[in-house]
Amino acid sequence: MNRYCATLAIAALLLLCTTTRTFAQVDALEQEAFQQATALAGPSIVRIETIGGRDVVGELITGTGPTTGVVVSSDGYVITSSFNFIAQPAQILVTLPDDRRFTAEVVARDTSKMLTLLKVDVDGLEPLAATPKDDLRVGQWSLALGRTYSNTFPNLSVGIISALGRIDGKAIQTDAKVSPANYGGPLVDIEGRGMGILVPLSPQKSDETAGVEWYDSGIGFAVPLEDIYAVLPRLKAGEDLAPGRMGVTFEDTGPLAGEAKIEQVRPLSPADEAGLAAGDVIVEIDDEVIDRIPRLRQVLGTRYAGDTINVAVRRDDEIVRTDVELVAELSAYEPAFLGILPVRLPRDADATGVEIRHVYSDSPAATAGLEKRDVITAIDGTPVSTAADLLKELGRKLPDTTLTLAWRRGDAEQTAEVTLGTMPDELAEELAAASIPAPDEEAERPERGHLSRQLAGDERRYWAYVPDQLNLDYDYGLLVWLHPTGDTMESDILEQWRAICERRGIILVGPKAGNISGWTPDDAGFVKAVIEEMRQTYPIDPARIAVHGFAGGGNFAHFVGFRNRELIRGISTVAAPIRIPPPSNTPEYRLQLHFISGEEDALAEPIEETVEGLRQMGYPTTWISLPETGRAYPDEATIERLAGWLDQLDRL
Amino acid sequence: MHSALLLPARVLPARVLPARVLPARAWRVVLPALVAATIGLTGAPRPAAAADLHDAIRTTQQRVVKIFGAGGIANLHSYGTGFLVSDEGHIVTVWSHVLDGDVVTVVLNDGRRFYGKVLGAEPQLDLAVLKIDATDLPYFDLDQAATASPGSRVLGFGNLFKVATGDEPVSVLHGVISAVTKLTARRGRYEVPYDGPVYIVDAVTNNPGSAGGVLTTWDGQLLGMIGRELRDTDSHLWINYAIPIGELRDAIHSIRTGDFTPREEEEPDDNPQRYVATDFGIVLVPDVVYRTPAYVDDVLPGSAASQVGLQPDDLIVFVNGELVHSIRTLAVTLGRLEAEDDLRLIIRRGKALIPVEMRVPRREELQ
Repeated sequence: MNRYCATLAIAALLLLCTTTRTFAQVDALEQEAFQQATALAGPSIVRIETIGGRDVVGELITGTGPTTGVVVSSDGYVITSSFNFIAQPAQILVTLPDDRRFTAEVVARDTSKMLTLLKVDVDGLEPLAATPKDDLRVGQWSLALGRTYSNTFPNLSVGIISALGRIDGKAIQTDAKVSPANYGGPLVDIEGRGMGILVPLSPQKSDETAGVEWYDSGIGFAVPLEDIYAVLPRLKAGEDLAPGRMGVTFEDTGPLAGEAKIEQVRPLSPADEAGLAAGDVIVEIDDEVIDRIPRLRQVLGTRYAGDTINVAVRRDDEIVRTDVELVAELSAYEPAFLGILPVRLPRDADATGVEIRHVYSDSPAATAGLEKRDVITAIDGTPVSTAADLLKELGRKLPDTTLTLAWRRGDAEQTAEVTLGTMPDELAEELAAASIPAPDEEAERPERGHLSRQLAGDERRYWAYVPDQLNLDYDYGLLVWLHPTGDTMESDILEQWRAICERRGIILVGPKAGNISGWTPDDAGFVKAVIEEMRQTYPIDPARIAVHGFAGGGNFAHFVGFRNRELIRGISTVAAPIRIPPPSNTPEYRLQLHFISGEEDALAEPIEETVEGLRQMGYPTTWISLPETGRAYPDEATIERLAGWLDQLDRL
Repeated sequence: MHSALLLPARVLPARVLPARVLPARAWRVVLPALVAATIGLTGAPRPAAAADLHDAIRTTQQRVVKIFGAGGIANLHSYGTGFLVSDEGHIVTVWSHVLDGDVVTVVLNDGRRFYGKVLGAEPQLDLAVLKIDATDLPYFDLDQAATASPGSRVLGFGNLFKVATGDEPVSVLHGVISAVTKLTARRGRYEVPYDGPVYIVDAVTNNPGSAGGVLTTWDGQLLGMIGRELRDTDSHLWINYAIPIGELRDAIHSIRTGDFTPREEEEPDDNPQRYVATDFGIVLVPDVVYRTPAYVDDVLPGSAASQVGLQPDDLIVFVNGELVHSIRTLAVTLGRLEAEDDLRLIIRRGKALIPVEMRVPRREELQ
């Protein structure tokens, strides 16, 4: 019996019903159609079992039950959901519908659509025929099949196609119940053909467990089988497929974003090498019209690293076309370093150049002969009048770039060639605090000293310390203290930091976790809101906002810091290695990190690994390792060094 | 493991087919057209099928009752569902904390309230039978109960989240049977005693309050009793299941007639540790992580394992048909062996899977 005959059977039965059958009988015929479609696809559905592996991944306890795969080639290739191997098992076994068992090898992975291709040493299997994508329609019956409960007959859930082109064009959506009971199995049509392979996916997240929280919810996803067959030769050849990146950023990538106007092009990225530039508007990719950013995401979502796309951009009312070869990973970006600290001027000062507060020894600036109190006036002929201007010019440059620097010393104008370097890992130099003049006593100033507040419309509270000598004409650094689990440490921190705040011009703020027994991801928005409120009330230098946490608070500082890179410039932690892989470093955010660990602490080793990993990723990272110290908040001398780091966040 | 095979042969691929009527490609176009035509032909303001389905649902709902009892603290809900199995007020429901009080309140479909008394319970089946003092009630005839196979359309009835109050009928959900399998589930940390066959359903039937409700076919024939909220032991997922009436019928009958004796508790020691790997001459690698794969580290000379050719670095993947996830699962299976049993292993060596068989020695042979 084949699919063709079954179709005829159903059609014949349905013909009969036009004249003699009632609706109840149509229901019965539909039920038989479900069972037949399942039986037809059955020979291509295999059971997958695993041995060994991790028992917990993230928050998820991994299952040990059987999962499902689909035969895609008669010579033993099986496609399945990567979710089935999140435990990283030692051995994968495949059981065919005729109960023959085989060991399986992983051939390749698709990390964009979360699929894994397996190979077993057997021939004569029955690959699942694909429903042509052009035939897919919203509202069609769709059956989600698995091999988890019985090897004799697949388990099934019946639904309809809810949507096409979901998750950036990667998946079709069904309201059939999709869960680990059928991840890796097929979504089949009423003729038993494969519409897609069931996988957990999430529109918001892309990690390996993303989308599992929606199991059995009526929101399930399947990667179209036709798309899988299109890349099967690449997978069979052992090529891992990854999402393709071109290296551009847009101001807004949200669902309401408008035209695809490039905000920044990552240096050395495929887009950069193809000649794309900031301000270009992408209007077409591979002959598909891009009217808005969501459309761009749809088109790029199905492209892999290694694919070459033809991009048309509008530049000054002209259309420019270029080919871009997408890559999996953009090369690590490391910010370039000139080696100076700018003088912090009063807020309303009228500057005609950037006065130097400090020149780092052995830095490019020192080599070029710059000195304290020199005033930088131009970079490569472009005049710079403020530190922000200077950052704008330098922020786009890579280390080893040579440029021409113009500066003023007294009345003399000088120029020199400078080759940019990288930020030093050590902060060897003692740096005198940048003094802020005493305020005008008459002036009206916001509340100072030790404060305790509540965010409007929020139960959660925060405390703060604002220097008594607050001078509203000057910008202050903002240090956000994130307390460890179970203890706000408010009085200890205040005691340790109060004098430093006064001397170095720092405002300290301590949000309190919604639940003292630990920070939750939900608290991140609260911390951000506290920072925003402080910025509205006090003069805060956007270049010197840092989060600082100890132990559990340190882990949360990493979470908050990496999540809000547009706002936060420094992350400083004590006894806290990074647990989730950080995002790659990009020129648009100038983030620096600082770690303190005790040599006796069991966390010393993971922290060292974290520091090395971050440096490899191009993040400027400073590390203090304290001998004969366990897991403790550091002493005064170490805090003084940390304060020095905080005072140099605006180095260039 | 999910190994029960209760499928009637008729759903399996072999099927006699009528002669060619339509080209296959036309099928997808034809289905909507046919449905449209059928609607046209029936023509009545209430289509026949909808009427059938409606009647089946109405009939079933009249036989389902809402139960209110103990609970209401912490996460324990104080309500459930039951169904009438005699015209004189016998009600079947699940055995749960809701029945912990001496009496429970039973609300019939027509809104009448009765006090229900627990006649008896069979914890091994998660089953309890209640009795209310009433007569001439609509009820399910247990001898008429049906069975169904995967893909069958089903209806689930239960007072989930006590949405229904007073004379409101209980909620009805629709779905298909996903699988017929043996239950391997747990509640919290505890394994559930019932490990017989269940219908797995693709609708979310098992919510607080649904337990004790019924699963029926689309024409209202009783299939099973909806169970509690449980997680599958292997996948840790919430599962939606019902226990087939055939599994409950005898116990219900015995409780009604009063000659019921609860089944003996099964041997409480489910990990007797009668045998270990070295009894067969197998030395496993050290068990260092939670799921250490059962790799053979060494084979003792002259042992049963050496006679069947086991070698260091072999990976034991199945023991007596069960997958060996880790050294722990192997230890449990070996511990349950009896003398003179067969020990069948499948080992992986390179890419090959190799079956070997050994006899389980008597204790005195091991001295």
